[in-house]
This record gives sequence, structure tokens and C-alpha cells, in this order.
Amino acid sequence: MKITALLVLKSDASASSSSSASAGGGDPLVLANATDVSHFGYFQRGAAKEFILFVARTVAKRTPPGQRQSVQHEEYKVHSYNRNGLCAVAFMDDHYPIRSAFSLLNKVLDEYQKAFGDSWKLAKSDATQPWPYLTDALTKFQDPAEADKLMKIQRDLDETKIILHKTIESVLERGERLDSLVEKSSDLSAASQMFYKQAKKTNQCCTVL
Amino acid sequence: MATRTAHSSYRDRTNEFRSAVESARKQLNVGASSSGGSSAGSRLDGSKAVASIQSEFNRRASKIGLGIHQTSEKLARLAKLAKRTSVFDDPTKDIQDLTAIIKKDIGALSAAVADLQHLCDSQNETGNISRDTTSHSTTVIDNLKNRLMSTTNEFKDVLTMRTENMKVHEDRRKLFSAAAGKEPANPFIRQRPLVNRGNSSDSAPPPAPWATESSESAPLFPRSTLTNRKKGNGEASSSSQPLMMQQQQQLAVHQDSYMQSRAEALQNVESTIHELGNIFTQLATMVSQQGEIAIRIDENMDDTLANVEGAQGQLLKYLNSISSNRWLMIKIFFVLMVFLMIFLFFVA
Repeated sequence: MKITALLVLKSDASASSSSSASAGGGDPLVLANATDVSHFGYFQRGAAKEFILFVARTVAKRTPPGQRQSVQHEEYKVHSYNRNGLCAVAFMDDHYPIRSAFSLLNKVLDEYQKAFGDSWKLAKSDATQPWPYLTDALTKFQDPAEADKLMKIQRDLDETKIILHKTIESVLERGERLDSLVEKSSDLSAASQMFYKQAKKTNQCCTVL
Repeated sequence: MATRTAHSSYRDRTNEFRSAVESARKQLNVGASSSGGSSAGSRLDGSKAVASIQSEFNRRASKIGLGIHQTSEKLARLAKLAKRTSVFDDPTKDIQDLTAIIKKDIGALSAAVADLQHLCDSQNETGNISRDTTSHSTTVIDNLKNRLMSTTNEFKDVLTMRTENMKVHEDRRKLFSAAAGKEPANPFIRQRPLVNRGNSSDSAPPPAPWATESSESAPLFPRSTLTNRKKGNGEASSSSQPLMMQQQQQLAVHQDSYMQSRAEALQNVESTIHELGNIFTQLATMVSQQGEIAIRIDENMDDTLANVEGAQGQLLKYLNSISSNRWLMIKIFFVLMVFLMIFLFFVA
């Protein structure tokens, strides 16, 4: 369950049609980039980054606006979500649930819009400064439950259910103990009654000696 | 088919009826010839002609009445069939056949009524028929027309009911098969019911972004296809259009599965919460039952305490009675006296 990269790109709506008026006009522009290539060897990290950039550009170009898309590329799943020309792309492995991926992309896009407003529309080239939120998000959302509120709720509910099962078992045990206590107390009360009768009998009967 | 034979038997009766009328006429002829006289014969011929016309009229009227009755029977059958249709077992072919037959019958009957009216009018013009006969024939014709009209109205009602039923079945069928993306042209419209179903639980913010997006993706799609068509300058745009449509259909299916997974997750959450509610209820029941048990234990202990206290009191009394017994002193003194006496007796 690993996120390898998160990117935000600007993908024009007209980029999806095949009009090639300007050379770079068809390719989306990278607005923010956060990658975690630590599991590659040291010498492969640069190549891996380039590869990620290229695939992200391709996928963002092919995603029409207002659409979500998931593409399988070698061992990664690439999820992309295009919203009014602002496209968020995420590279994940196969175990990451798709829904959490898209809710994460949603969140990233909302944050980006909050942080940068509409300035991304004027971007003409790739943005090079790292965006700290994205890198934090990359580390924070390695666990899919964090990203997807539904999964979190489901997980909490499952834990609660387990706790409640244990509670019910202990309540049943308590019930058993209470039953044994009832038995014992009724025996005790019978014994004490016998004791009382015996004492009364001893007291009344032998007045001779 | 049974209706066909009924239809053909409706025709056969005509010949039977004609032969019966012929035999009746022969009897009338025999009766007339027995009385004798040519004038009587001519008068009888005249009356016979009148009678023949009248019997022709009666024959036709009875034919039409029978036809109307049979048509209304068929209509009742059709109504039963139309009402009974379930979602899967749809006797459309039977219903359509029956509908066609009934329509033909109604048409034939209305033509026959028109003929009868025509005959009655011609009778009124030619013959010297009494006023009662004309009024009778007009009444008969009106009655037949009314019955035919009521049958036609019933037929119309049955047809409308049938179309309503068909619509209801279509809706139900669409509801049942909404899970499979059978119609790729309609997922834009169908996303909204999924949105509504997904909004039933408490996570309002996550559905809201994609709900608004699905509603604006639907108009975006026709718009994008329109812009595609406008930009089509013969630059392989016509070939890209089916590709675009396919892509859009694929994407729409993807979107649909995304929504479906969200809806599923929400339903899971809802059912989990429901189960939790159940568990809490059971817990409360068990605890209240055990509360009763605890109360019983408490009562038992109180009884025990009372018994033991009573017993202790008794024993104390006993102890008191034993320790401070006046009788005991007298008894001891008595025993001492006895010993003294014996001692004194034996010694002195």
C-alpha cells in the first residue's frame, strides 16, 4: 500500500483534441510534484523521476476534463482526476484501494486551489518549487485509511464492533456469576432459617434443666 | 384459436338462422294456403313481405347483438390479460392478437349497425309499416349503437391500462437492471439516482464534490461532442468521434463503478452502524435482566440476615436463661441440701 508519487498538472481542455498548433501546447504542465523514489537504487532515482513525469504528462493529457481515470502501467496504477483543467495524478501500487486514491486526489486539488487560487491558469512552464503540502501528503497518506474518510469510519466501526462483542461476552460471564451468587444466597438463606428454627426449638423446649 | 372459432361460429349462425326463418316462412305459407283465397294470399303475401322484411331486420339485429356480446367477452379476457402481466411473463403477442381481433370485430359491428340503420330507413320509405314497428326498429338500433359505443370505450380503457402497465414494467425492469451498465448512452442520467442513494448517510462532504461534478460532467459531454463536431475539418475528426464516444462510454462506466463503490461503502457503513445499534440493544436487555437477578440476590441476603439475627437473639436469650436461672440456684441449693443431709445422716 504505497504511494510513489503525487503530481498536480495543468491540463488544458483543448489539449485532448488533436490540434497541434504549438509544439508544447498539447502537453500538460507540472504545477506541483512530490515523489518518493527511495525504494529505487541510488542511480536509478533520476531515471525513475523522469519516467514518472513522462507518464504523468501522458495520462493527464489523455484525461478529459471532469473525468477520473485509472491506468495500469507496469507495476503501478496511475490514477488521474481532471477537474476543470487542473489535473491531479497519483502513482500507487495495486493494493491501494481506488476510492481512497480518488478521494486523496480530490483533497489535493482542494488544497491546491485553496493555496494557489487561480494562478495556475497562467502557468506557462513547469513549476519547480516543491509544495510542502504535497510532500506531507505523500507521507501521511501512505495509509489509505487516512485519505478516505469512509475507510476510517469503517475501520472505527469495526473496532467498536469488536469491543462490543467482547463487552457482550463479559456481560454474559457476569450473568453466569450472578446466577451462581443467586444459588448461593438462596442456600444461605435456607440454612439460616434452619438455624433460627433450631435455636427457637432449643430455647423453648427444655425448661427443665 | 378459440376466438377464431368463436368468430367463425358467429358467421355460421347466420345460415342456421336463415334456414330457421325459411322454415318459419314455409309454415306461415302452409297456414296461409290452408285458409285459401287469392286475395287473402296476396294480402298474406304483402304481410309476408312485411314479415320477411321485419324478420330480416330482426335477424340482423340479433346478429349484431350477438356480435357485441361476444366482443365484450373477448374484451373482458383482454382486460384480464393486460392486468395480470408481470415483469417477466409478458403475453405481448397474445394481447396484440386479441387487440387486433377485437378492433376488427368492432369495425365490422359498426358497419353492420350502419347497414341496419340504412335498411330501417329504406323500410320506412318504401313499405306501409305501422308506427309501432318503426319506433321499435329505431329503438332497437339505438340500443345496439349504445352497446357498441360502450364496448368501444371499454376497449379504449383497456388499451390505456395496458400502456400504463407497460410503462410500469419498463421502469421496474430498468430499476432491476440498473446495476449492469447496459445502456451506455444513459449513464449520465443514471448517475443522479446513485448520487441520491449515496447521500443517504451522514458523509455529506465527500459526495458533494463529485455530485456537483457528475451533474456538470453530463452537460460537459454533449458540449465536448458538439465542440468536436464543430472543429471537425476532415482532419480525421469523423473517425475520432466514435473513438471519443467509446472513450466517453468507457470513462462513464469507470465513473459509474467509482460511484458504485462509494455507494457500496456507504451502505456497508450504514449496515455496520445498524448492527452496532442491535448489539447495544441486546446489551441493554441483558444488563436489565441481570439487574433483576441482582435484586433477587439482595432479597435473599436480607432474608438470611434476618434469620441469623433472630437465631442469634434466641441463643442470647437461651444463654441468659441458662446463666441467670433462679430455678438453677434453687436446684443447686436443693442438691447441696440433699448432700448435706446425706452427709449428716451418715456421719452423725
